[in-house]
Amino acid sequence: MDIRNERDLIGGNTPRPARIRTDYTEIIMSWFGYIFIGLFAISCLLPFLLILGTSFTSEEAVKKFGFNIWPHEFSTFAYQIVFENPKLIIGSYLVTMGITIVGTVVGLFIVAMTGYALQRPDFTYRNKISFFIYFTTLFSGGLVPFYLLITQYLDLKDSYLAVLLPGLLTPFLIIMMKSFVRSIPHAITESAKIDGAGDFTIFLRLILPMTTPALATIGLFIALGYWNEWYNAMLFLSPDMDYRPLQLFLYNVVTSADFIRNSAASSNVAMSDVPLETMKMATAVVATGPVILFYPFVQRYFIKGITVGAVKG
Amino acid sequence: MSRFRKLTISVLIAVMVISLAACGGKKESSSAGGDTSQFVTISFVVLGDKPKNGQFEKVMEKVNAIMKEKINAELQWKWVEWADWQTKYNLLLASGEPVDLVTIGTDWLDTWSNAQRGAFLPLDDLLPKYAPQTWKEIPQEDWAQSKYNGKIVLIPENDYTQWINHGFFYRGDWAKQAGITEPIKDWNTIGKYLQWIKDNKPDVIPYDVQASTSNFGGWVQSYTPHLELPISTGYMPIFNTESYDDRYKVVSPVFEDTFLDFAKMMKDWADKGYWREDVLNNKNDARNALRAGQNGMDSHHTQTFSGLRVQMDKDQPGSELMMYPFSRTSNNLLEMPITHGGVSLGAHSKNPERALMAYDLIRNNKEIYQLINYGMEGVQYDIKDGKRVLPANYNETNDSFYSDFWAGRMDKFEIPSDTTWDKIDTMYKEYDKIKKPYPYGQFVFDKTAIESELTAISQVTGEMGPAISYGKAGDPTQAVQEYRDKLKLAGYDKVMAELQRQLDAYKAQMDSTANK
Repeated sequence: MDIRNERDLIGGNTPRPARIRTDYTEIIMSWFGYIFIGLFAISCLLPFLLILGTSFTSEEAVKKFGFNIWPHEFSTFAYQIVFENPKLIIGSYLVTMGITIVGTVVGLFIVAMTGYALQRPDFTYRNKISFFIYFTTLFSGGLVPFYLLITQYLDLKDSYLAVLLPGLLTPFLIIMMKSFVRSIPHAITESAKIDGAGDFTIFLRLILPMTTPALATIGLFIALGYWNEWYNAMLFLSPDMDYRPLQLFLYNVVTSADFIRNSAASSNVAMSDVPLETMKMATAVVATGPVILFYPFVQRYFIKGITVGAVKG
Repeated sequence: MSRFRKLTISVLIAVMVISLAACGGKKESSSAGGDTSQFVTISFVVLGDKPKNGQFEKVMEKVNAIMKEKINAELQWKWVEWADWQTKYNLLLASGEPVDLVTIGTDWLDTWSNAQRGAFLPLDDLLPKYAPQTWKEIPQEDWAQSKYNGKIVLIPENDYTQWINHGFFYRGDWAKQAGITEPIKDWNTIGKYLQWIKDNKPDVIPYDVQASTSNFGGWVQSYTPHLELPISTGYMPIFNTESYDDRYKVVSPVFEDTFLDFAKMMKDWADKGYWREDVLNNKNDARNALRAGQNGMDSHHTQTFSGLRVQMDKDQPGSELMMYPFSRTSNNLLEMPITHGGVSLGAHSKNPERALMAYDLIRNNKEIYQLINYGMEGVQYDIKDGKRVLPANYNETNDSFYSDFWAGRMDKFEIPSDTTWDKIDTMYKEYDKIKKPYPYGQFVFDKTAIESELTAISQVTGEMGPAISYGKAGDPTQAVQEYRDKLKLAGYDKVMAELQRQLDAYKAQMDSTANK
């Protein structure tokens, strides 16, 4: 059921009635709403602009005037340092993108399949398996067993799979998917069965297209998770690997004094000129860059994706 | 339960096998006995970021050529990077991975608690046979400090001079003009020096400090016989012990007049404008400002001073940078624990014998030692007048080398560098006269019972400490009282009691070994 149809019933498509006198409270309310939401939006945007502005400021100006949205003295020096070794940063970008794309596609597929299966009334063990999944959200094994599992039993040290696999199935996303799919009447599945469709065909041809909003939302969650992932990479991917995910790379840029010193020396500047503060901002911008582009594409599905399941569940 | 776990694991493995094609191969198996007929690889866990310019590999090639010839083995560095190194290092040891040599440090790398968890191999029987020279040269009392539960679990870095005694760095030329002819011995004279700068050098900030570092520990060292315990309470030390003679009694300098005196003096310094008005937000680097001639004082430890003195002689000729070590006022100075650095053998090492042989070589073979510590002569350094200097065509990006080897340095193979002050010995002699042996080398501090209180205390020190330490908390008496109240609230008494209990137990342990 599409929300647009509901609006049709209320009267979205009927010709607008002649302007009715609105009373003052309504005007005040809407103005108040605009102002409040506007301010809120600005307060969300400000920190990011501050980061962006500072990253293009010279370190001297930061010391003198503090952080500013509009650079006092324009400088791209922080970026020059971050991109000192373009081969490494491009390699890291590719690794992160690869992991994000593969992880999102495979993860989305598995989460959707699990969510769908777990709510089918004709699936006998659905409650037991659901419990098994939820249980892990309450009691996790802890860091050491997790580390042992990955390195000793699965032998995934220094393999990108060590970053990819743990993010594929998230209990929270399965719960979300499950409650969304529940809004699709079971009758659809049954009628398709009568027409001779197999379970997998039903899932692929009927269920998946009907869950686009949920897929978009969950997909964004998974993609963000992979994009920002650095902890597993830090634990399992040793420096012996040539390229490691972007976030870990940037984290090392900021923490490692050696890197800074070396880059400073190679660009013939004194150590004191290394723009530590602006460099942190530049790395933040580099790290957020592409992911900000995800939002406009999936945003329209957002609210529906998160709430529909919950309302009807 | 275990069947269930096995099932889960085998299901996971089944999933894995399908998708797992590009996984690394297995390592070669171990050699038998003590013979060196079979070639093996010895891993060495070090802390630091892996160098990326290829020099490290070139140096290791040379090292390994000698290693192969002598003991038919090669060394392989295993880097633990600075990104969340504590977690990673401890996980590496907890995972039971078959690592061979491991860098340890009892005061900063949780060595005793790792020993408690059985992460290290006992070395008593292996050492005399496979690392005979090391075994012979380290005296028995030093081995005694390397024991956990009566077994040697580490090889200490006992033959390397390093002093991290802290103090103020000030300019000798300005001090002389201020009428201070003797080396500075106390904080009042420092105040006099700063006042002179304030009056005579309008472009210089007397002490351009960042509030993120505290000098309170230095003050305690200068004006009390207290000893610092290897327990972190965040911004400033809260728990010390009474004195060297009464070294098992916990006291707190913050709850003594010591702290009030400190707070008053710092308020005074702040009011006189020795540092910036916005010191709490200051991001300016004191050391760079000093080198640029815009700052009159900096503080850090002796090793830093030794390098900075040489740099200052270049940047500000005639500045005669001096150091006032905090220990000079009270002669209160502890040696570094010899287990600050060292090496252990991983409990699951596949070639413990060969690993010890390799260690014996690193420590006692001059060529290997200097390769690992300094790199190749002619590329990383030249020798001029008995000192290391950078070669003429040295390029930092392409030629720089480091191995982060802190696990068994030896004074006898060290080559002095032209970047360290050639008169640093005078400071070392001053220290040698007053130093006392480090008494807490084997103190295994167990913080499980008071973890949350310690965190709360660190929170309080971080919150109020900077303002009091730099005279920005208003009336010192009132601020100190408020600070003490907050510490009490955070669980000060409980931590104090628990520390005393553990130190009593430690005292009993030390007494019993001393009587044996």
